[in-house]
Amino acid sequence: MTEFYRQYLAVAVFVLAAFLMVGAMLGVARLLRPKVPQDEKYITYESGSDPLPLFGQMNVRYYIYALLFVIFDVEAVFIFPWAVNVEGLGWFGLVEMSAFVAVLLLGLAYVWRKGLLRWA
Amino acid sequence: MLSAATVHIATPAFDWHAFAPDLVLVATMVVVLVADLLLPDRESWRTSSIAAVGLLGALVPIATLVHSGHDRNLFNGAYVVDHYALALKAFFIIATYITVLLSVDYIREGDYYKGEFYFLLLVSTFGMSIMASSRDLISLFVALETISIPTFVLATFRKHDRASNEAGVKYYLIGVLSSALMLYGMSLIYGVTGATKLSDIAAYMSQHGTVPLVAVAMFLSLVGFAFKVSAVPFHFWAPDTYEGAPTPVTAFLSVASKAGGFVALINIVYFGFFLPNGRAADSWWPVLWVLAALSMTLGNLVALRQTNIVRMLAYSSVAQGGFMLVPFAAAGIAGADGHPGKAAAAMSAVVIYLLIYGAMNLGAFAVVIAVARRTRSAEISSYDGLWEIAPGLAVVMGIFLASLAGVPFFAGWFAKFVMFRAIIDAGTGWAIALGIIAAVNSVIAFFYYARPIRAMIFHAPTTEDRTPIVIPQPLFAAIALTVSVVVVVGIYPQVFARVGELAF
Repeated sequence: MTEFYRQYLAVAVFVLAAFLMVGAMLGVARLLRPKVPQDEKYITYESGSDPLPLFGQMNVRYYIYALLFVIFDVEAVFIFPWAVNVEGLGWFGLVEMSAFVAVLLLGLAYVWRKGLLRWA
Repeated sequence: MLSAATVHIATPAFDWHAFAPDLVLVATMVVVLVADLLLPDRESWRTSSIAAVGLLGALVPIATLVHSGHDRNLFNGAYVVDHYALALKAFFIIATYITVLLSVDYIREGDYYKGEFYFLLLVSTFGMSIMASSRDLISLFVALETISIPTFVLATFRKHDRASNEAGVKYYLIGVLSSALMLYGMSLIYGVTGATKLSDIAAYMSQHGTVPLVAVAMFLSLVGFAFKVSAVPFHFWAPDTYEGAPTPVTAFLSVASKAGGFVALINIVYFGFFLPNGRAADSWWPVLWVLAALSMTLGNLVALRQTNIVRMLAYSSVAQGGFMLVPFAAAGIAGADGHPGKAAAAMSAVVIYLLIYGAMNLGAFAVVIAVARRTRSAEISSYDGLWEIAPGLAVVMGIFLASLAGVPFFAGWFAKFVMFRAIIDAGTGWAIALGIIAAVNSVIAFFYYARPIRAMIFHAPTTEDRTPIVIPQPLFAAIALTVSVVVVVGIYPQVFARVGELAF
């Protein structure tokens, strides 16, 4: 039982350390930093430039294109290391990669058939 | 720079037979998706038939694998097809099949994407099937995500309904949070043991015993899993998600998806931190003990106050999850005490409880869907006088609720029986204390399971309308299937007891 308590003491220490660390970081910063409130400091931070006044009306189609792009980007990530080693991997690698690409093409066929590739 | 030298890898020996159930599921997924693209919109509900046939087809290789009788190890033991895996694969596939039966008319009559629904359902089932065989942290995590991600989408399937959207977003956020915690825990486990394969981790643990960092890692992983199986205090998403999601999806989430989380828990805890001699059990049973006690008590107490039957079943499923964790904790206690045999018996109790819970909960949701077809409501008051309007449905609902409460001689009684037997076998003070909490909660549960029964029999119907409730054939089949399991297993518990014994 003592062994057991010692183990769970570690969990308690871990949780306590997590809270202490966040608390310490915020607390020390609060003690050290100068406090000069100005209106400009409450503006949304946009890397130094003024935030756009637009209330974001984005076309939802960009979102679908972005998603499609990510999928095929990731596909490329998987294909590169395979392409470097195509000879070493042999037929097994070729079959595996064909299966992978076929599944992704099925996704493309789905998107095309559902009319998401039309910009209308 | 990449080196020009080619790397030669040995083509892994591939046991196609062992993979057959998963491959059938994948093939079904592809066929459903392609069929949905080719069929005109009016006909796309037919994808449900393809999904149903594919699911039944996946049971065939499972039967032949059971018949062939020996365990199969793939990828150096990262993927294992043994009796335990096969029993759970069969459970997941049958549970999904029943979900398809529940969904056919619900999805067909509503304004839903039809092909996608069954596709997502199948993807999630595929994840569960992989989960049952995973014996490696990485494949375990991938399987868990394969289970979860489609269910996030399924929860929002009533696109134009705010509650459904809320359900999906809540489920998604909680799912991501739990994955993050779990991964943190897993990374610590890898850091300590230097292995991702569960058998290697187990070998390390039995050699070195636990170190405090393992307790931290287990704590984090278990909290992640606790979110997935909606154990108190990580349950708050469950009632809202269950109420907002389409009812067949709720049935799927509360049974198949929850069982997926439990199987992940069993795999990592039992195969990684218990075998071969139970030395590492100290690092996890206290967490499970607390989760079990809290889930049972809070789930039951809050269920008492519900007026909506879906919310009531949601809290009841939280409480039932607690009951399932009881033999799990008992296994840990027995293991830490040095009785691996008793622990294996307790683990088979978890599996038996899971199978029985699946049948009775799916059945209860089937009746809720059938009644809601007429009343368009899930309030318990809409069950007033069901006995006069539809005596058959009232009797069946009574059976499911009585079984959930653990009345002999329905299946739920046997589930409770194996749970208490595991407690008594473990026998230490902590085990007995948990047993007492479970006993008190079993009594509390009677009160809220009895309320719809009372409403059905003793309250007068609220409407004058006496037209019988029309139950479509698939829904009828689902109810017939689940009620026969609940009754048969209640009378001949040996059926499932044998499955549980074979599994461990």
